Amino acid sequence: MKFKQFKRALWVFHINTGSCNGCDIEIIAALTPRYDAERFGIKLVGSPRHADALLVTGPVTRQMADKLKLVFDQTPDPKVVMCVGHCGISGGVFHESYNLIGPVDNIIPVDVYVPGCPPRPEAIIEGVAKAWVKLELIEKGEWK
Amino acid sequence: MLTLDSGSGIWTPILWLFLFVLFSVIVLWLRGFGRSDYKKGTDQTMIFFSGNMEPLKDMVHIRSTNLYWGFTESLSVVFEKLRKAHTGRINDYVYWFVVVLALLFIIVILPGGGLQ
Repeated sequence: MKFKQFKRALWVFHINTGSCNGCDIEIIAALTPRYDAERFGIKLVGSPRHADALLVTGPVTRQMADKLKLVFDQTPDPKVVMCVGHCGISGGVFHESYNLIGPVDNIIPVDVYVPGCPPRPEAIIEGVAKAWVKLELIEKGEWK
Repeated sequence: MLTLDSGSGIWTPILWLFLFVLFSVIVLWLRGFGRSDYKKGTDQTMIFFSGNMEPLKDMVHIRSTNLYWGFTESLSVVFEKLRKAHTGRINDYVYWFVVVLALLFIIVILPGGGLQ
């Protein structure tokens, strides 16, 4: 993995689609001074319209499916989607539950998966870095 | 000639116009840093409402009468009587007109010595 250039700070919109908050707490931990993801310009924003990347946690409950789709549609292109945690990847402990529409890639296309229950902040930061590389390649038209 | 000196300050339209243009240019320059890659006519230009569809304007619009709710509620005794008086029938309005005219005649004109 090699960064050639940082064209701009990576702004991330976090959406919780029914997570137990375990992954959300680890995302916040990645922003604390111990890990300090903001030193790379990685920042959480309050609207998908300002975001370059979507960070999705949770197994996607029935009530959140259309909202997740709408948030994805509202994010300007080019964009990348990160799925953080086992729940979003496979349903996790809620696998095949009656009130799930997920996992996340049933609803929207996912670019980076970060497994874990919850994943450590280092894993989340590595996932964001990989998403960033993909985003740059998409912008340059070099992504195959 | 265009400068107005009030003693405590000056007002020059030319200077004001110059500053207006200057600040407009600065604002447009800053605006140019914003993202321009939104696809028009798609959800990307819709208002973000926490992932929900934007409600119809009728559903979120606060009517101006809501601002006067306390006023009308406290004076409801008066308002109810006035509302009842508004029957929508022209006969009733003419009746009110004649009655008020008669009252004015009694109160204003007669004490002044009547029509002379």
